[in-house]
Amino acid sequence: MNTISQRFTHANTNDVANEINTVHDSLSHKQTLELAPSISVPPISQPTDFLRAHTDDASNPDCKIKIAHGTTTLAFRFQGGIIVAVDSRATAGNWIASQTVNKVIRINPFLLGTMAGGAADCQYWETWLGTQCRLHELREKERISVAAASKILSNLVYEYKGMGLSMGTMVCGHTKKEGPAIYYVDSDGTRLKGDLFCVGSGQTFAYGVLDSEYKWDLTVEEALYLGKRSILAATHRDAYSGGSINLYHINEQGWTYHGNHNVGDVFWDIRDQEQSFVNVDG
Amino acid sequence: MDIILGIRVQDATIIATSKAATRGISILKDTDDKTRELNAHNLIAYTGEAGDTVQFAEYVQANIQLYSMRENDIELSPLATASFVRNQLATSIRSRKPYQVNCLIAGYDTKKDQPTLNWIDYLGTQVELPYGAHGYAGFYTTSLLDKHYRKDMVVDDGLKLLKLCLKELETRMPIDFKGVYVKVVDKDGIRSVELD
Amino acid sequence: MQTTVASEYSNEIHSVPIEHRFNPYSDNGGTVLGIAGEDFAVLAGDTRQVEGYSIQSRYEPKIFDVGDNIVMTANGFAADGVALIDKFRQQLKWYKFDNFGGKLEIKSAARYIQHLLYGKRFFPYYVSTLIAGLDEEGKGAVYSYDPVGSYEREQCRAGGAAASLIMPFLDNQVNFKNQFIPGTDGKEKKPLKYLTLEEVIELVRDAFSSATERHIYVGDGLEIKIVTKDGVRTEYYPLKRD
Repeated sequence: MNTISQRFTHANTNDVANEINTVHDSLSHKQTLELAPSISVPPISQPTDFLRAHTDDASNPDCKIKIAHGTTTLAFRFQGGIIVAVDSRATAGNWIASQTVNKVIRINPFLLGTMAGGAADCQYWETWLGTQCRLHELREKERISVAAASKILSNLVYEYKGMGLSMGTMVCGHTKKEGPAIYYVDSDGTRLKGDLFCVGSGQTFAYGVLDSEYKWDLTVEEALYLGKRSILAATHRDAYSGGSINLYHINEQGWTYHGNHNVGDVFWDIRDQEQSFVNVDG
Repeated sequence: MDIILGIRVQDATIIATSKAATRGISILKDTDDKTRELNAHNLIAYTGEAGDTVQFAEYVQANIQLYSMRENDIELSPLATASFVRNQLATSIRSRKPYQVNCLIAGYDTKKDQPTLNWIDYLGTQVELPYGAHGYAGFYTTSLLDKHYRKDMVVDDGLKLLKLCLKELETRMPIDFKGVYVKVVDKDGIRSVELD
Repeated sequence: MQTTVASEYSNEIHSVPIEHRFNPYSDNGGTVLGIAGEDFAVLAGDTRQVEGYSIQSRYEPKIFDVGDNIVMTANGFAADGVALIDKFRQQLKWYKFDNFGGKLEIKSAARYIQHLLYGKRFFPYYVSTLIAGLDEEGKGAVYSYDPVGSYEREQCRAGGAAASLIMPFLDNQVNFKNQFIPGTDGKEKKPLKYLTLEEVIELVRDAFSSATERHIYVGDGLEIKIVTKDGVRTEYYPLKRD
């Protein structure tokens, strides 16, 4: 009886509703998305074009929904573990949406994720990654490796490839098996293991300073300063980066937070101390 | 643009892949290995859309290994391996979201004692070749290979010819590709080679 | 124009592509703002609703008491805003049924709203969302969101049409940005302090009367919802109606 009547209910006679449900189902039935919520898609044939038309301010400057973009983030491995440094600016078009964004997501006491690209995409999926890592811990009675954690994330974004997710992230952590490890994961589905990465619109400026002064034998103090200095360089030259600098250090004890450093203050301190930035007077 | 080169000689097949992993205007890594071992005597080298490449290579790698586990440890021949990969790409190109991956498969047929090089693109085109390349590398090197390749070459000759190709790429390619990883597939399996 | 011959192939029948110019969005103007104090929080919004250059209503409130001492607004496209708030209210009701009437903490409400917004990541709600209330320690809290759910707890936040007019004012007056102690040659920053409710109401009224002067989508009336430990109360102040 139900099956017969179902065919004649409102939802099934309505083409649009049907189409929504079909797309919806095809997404939510993916196995790796078990714990992810179902995400609705517009009831049209090309949902990706729709999203682009309404949210991509590069291809359509007067689009209505502006999604936060633009960043500088970096992480590098050295003798004393890993340094993670990020800025804190969020922009939507030319508008500075926030100067106090937290671009380091604390996945657990041993794992950090950085955030570049779509703020919501990174925030949402990296907290989701945190739940996946916790579930791994409960099932396996052992902390997840950085390799495995980063692969969960890269496989997830790969499922959504072409749908318009935008993220460039570094999954950083320390495990007994791997030691300190950094994986770069982006929304194309790329996943790379490495010693040093800079990600975001200010990446080139950060690379410039970081590559020139980077040595494996840096002390923790030197490394923290180099991280901070590289982000400062990027905030100075990249209009989409700024606000303040958040610093982290990771070693076998897990991560430690090394404070929030306002660019407005740090800039003048470093300029006086280093006698650098001579192009700026005052 | 990534460099992928393959040369088949009498007793082996040689594969060279560039080490740079580039995203936008930055080189993110200079030790990127763009190959996967499909089984003891088959190596896939790949280029193409970021993300698709590794996902595809690891997918075919897992399936080829699964086949051997199920079928009493029978190792797929180079021809079977290449046919399988071609078939996957041919199916993919007709799907809603195709894999955009081009690859070379270097193999050594242990039954016939023959090295092979298979060239496959994302459309599902497969050809067995003495030498081949994907991307811009081919524009610079095919002419050199046409001129210098001989049927009776052995691994050392092949490596010499490869060095000639790389020298040309280093002088003419506008972007630094950070050198190459060289791998040789012969009767003993897959091994890495350091070029001096 | 292509000629087609009737055939079994559906792609030949529809060989001229159907144009999808699907635009389900509109901008209904208005602006909102939230400020957190030491033991209170306020959410304020003007009451004008527009469509294009026409004023549809001079009194359509958009700040809502959603229960559990939380106030919420979703400014931008009014239909999406209402849909989002309705959805949240309904879920809050179910939460209470399932949890013996337990109170939903504001940080949990905040995380839940992220999920509501991100649930429509590929067909977003066109709104800037704010919620305000008190945290577990009784301190004022304001959470702000982008259209797809990235969020942050802040001391103050303006959203909607005149956000760019109000936000710099708030930075200066609430967080004392670029304010220095007189006589220190701009070396010593003015120390942060919590504003009183009276000071906050004055700030909010100034912000809205100024925005009304310079933005066509703002005006008519100002409705403020104030959250304290004693509950939510509403105040209304008229704005210029031109």
